[in-house]
Amino acid sequence: MSAEHQKATAFVARLLENPALKPLTPLQKEEQIIQFFHANATQLAPTLATPAFFPGASWNQIVALLLAALTEYVNTDLFASLEQIVENQIDFGYVNFLRQQAVGSDKVQQQIASLVKTLLVKPEARRGFTGAHTALVFKFVDRYVDAVWTRKSYIHFEITKVQRLRMSKEQVKAMIETTLLLKPVVYLVATGGVAGQAEQTSGIVETKFGEKVFLATKKHLNLVPDPVLKSAVSASISFIENRFIEATARIAAIFAARCRNFQPSVRVDRGADSPDKSWLSIARRNYKFYGFDIKMLDEFFSIAAENGW
Amino acid sequence: MVGMNRTRAALENFVIVAIILVLVQTFVEDFAVLAGWSWSVRRALLFTGFAFDIFFTIEFLTRLYFSFVNRRTGTYFWYERGWIDLLASIPLLLLSSGPAVLAYWSGTATIVGFGAILNVLKVVKAIRIARILRLLRVLKIFARIRHTESAMAQRHVAKISTVAVTVVVVTILAMTVLFGVLDTPSLETVYQEQTVRVLRTIDDIQPEGDSGKAALSELADLEPALLLVQRDGHTLYSRYENDLYDSDFGPTDYGYGESGGLRVFFDLTPLNQEQSRSNLLYFVIIGLLVLAFMLYYSPHFALTVSDPLHIMRRGMSEKGYNLEIKIPPLYEEDEVYRLGQLFNEVYLPLKDRTSAADEPEVLDLKFDDIKDILNE
Repeated sequence: MSAEHQKATAFVARLLENPALKPLTPLQKEEQIIQFFHANATQLAPTLATPAFFPGASWNQIVALLLAALTEYVNTDLFASLEQIVENQIDFGYVNFLRQQAVGSDKVQQQIASLVKTLLVKPEARRGFTGAHTALVFKFVDRYVDAVWTRKSYIHFEITKVQRLRMSKEQVKAMIETTLLLKPVVYLVATGGVAGQAEQTSGIVETKFGEKVFLATKKHLNLVPDPVLKSAVSASISFIENRFIEATARIAAIFAARCRNFQPSVRVDRGADSPDKSWLSIARRNYKFYGFDIKMLDEFFSIAAENGW
Repeated sequence: MVGMNRTRAALENFVIVAIILVLVQTFVEDFAVLAGWSWSVRRALLFTGFAFDIFFTIEFLTRLYFSFVNRRTGTYFWYERGWIDLLASIPLLLLSSGPAVLAYWSGTATIVGFGAILNVLKVVKAIRIARILRLLRVLKIFARIRHTESAMAQRHVAKISTVAVTVVVVTILAMTVLFGVLDTPSLETVYQEQTVRVLRTIDDIQPEGDSGKAALSELADLEPALLLVQRDGHTLYSRYENDLYDSDFGPTDYGYGESGGLRVFFDLTPLNQEQSRSNLLYFVIIGLLVLAFMLYYSPHFALTVSDPLHIMRRGMSEKGYNLEIKIPPLYEEDEVYRLGQLFNEVYLPLKDRTSAADEPEVLDLKFDDIKDILNE
């Protein structure tokens, strides 16, 4: 390890120690730091080019050093978190049910973890995974699907009757969590499937591009059943464009978007609505833009309102 | 500069403590009259009130002087409640505690007793009613208590409290003066007629003889306000022993009338008690009025005006703040909430779509947070 890399790592480590970043997930922290570098470039550049840090280096060189150190540092926590999710949080027993044959859960876990880690080398995949990962860390699926199962309304109907998942609630939760985990698979194939500005900004891809991604993903995850892979790919396709998207994909898309900027300890001012309720209300008005299922948003909104989320 | 600010803050705090104490003192002084506490206790309270009035007069003159020096007299007087400082200091010293202390120092009721009995009663009433001006000081404390985080809510509630309390105090004072000028029937006029009648009766019955003394005793039984009858300095009748007059009666507790060599002393305690009862009532009304504004109206104002505005301001100035305004159905037609509805339904969705194209905001890390790292 070069002296410059050591310095960059030490600098990044100190930044990440900031108490303000403590409640955030590793990828959220990374985004914050990257934005911090961009926002404060004019102030940071002269200071970091001094002999105490990176003498003689240009700002671009400094940023490259810092970002490399940041990714490496964040990966330690991120991969540990992924392993925790894959090994302890998601019960892959449902894979056997979908495939109608016994596949070792540990093998499925290994395949998925390996692919996700590979994908997370790409900066755009990391950005695209932030919301999904945050949703997994804060167990959004658990609390909302529990409420969905109690209500047995539109979302429950879509899961059990339309998508025909004849699985237990816990198995459905595990499938949605797998969908979230595999959401960055759209970055497996070189980008180019996005259409207009709306799609670019909302991170959704075209159905045809999704099909290409599905075929590519299938090669890497041969133990994962097709419905799960399709759900993972469809989580990045607009429901407005394709009305046949799996319910699990639509749910994952909503949760991933919800958690893009989720902060667990946000202070709700007096007179303001709760964070989830506010987000879902805004999402209801922007559902076409993001390609969400409006009826799902309505039901999640009711759940959030009832529970004060 | 820091030292000066500290001294100023300490003095301001001292004034606040004095205001709280003078309010307690005002309450206790009236309560003491109503409860018939001994004169020694009431005398101590009288001097305490006098000391407070001197203190607040000095405070007012000092503030006025410095505001004049700093060319901000108008600001101090009209916008920083200088008028309250004035009304609750000099008039009290001149009309209330000052005359009462002078009456005590002169040793007799002369200050209140030179004129006819009605004038005596009017002066006594003026002294006691003027004390209500002290209640204006409640507003000074109210202005200092930060009962809400919103400066606008604080100012509006302070303004409405000032209007309400001032209207109550000024109305009471003005109506008291007006009724006095118009000689409307009152407890004092009844009392006055009664005492004049007693004076004439005593003059008629020639109280020096045995039969006169008996008639005087009979009259005293009928007129409980009759305390003492003297002819040329000799006591012809006394309701109580002298010790009791010493211990229970102060200069404002009695008045006297003279006719030739005859001097008749009357008990003014019932009138004073009535006035104290009224003063306590005003005190409680004003206290409850201020508390109601502070505990009920202020949160209501904050909830229905300043909170939604605060949320909208944050939503517009902070990229990562996207909470909607909670709109209570009861107030949804309020202009603020109609604006809030537009904020929820138009601004936030638009902001969300716009910000989706931008880089996410740095929410938690500020440049100042890392200055220590850069300086190492």
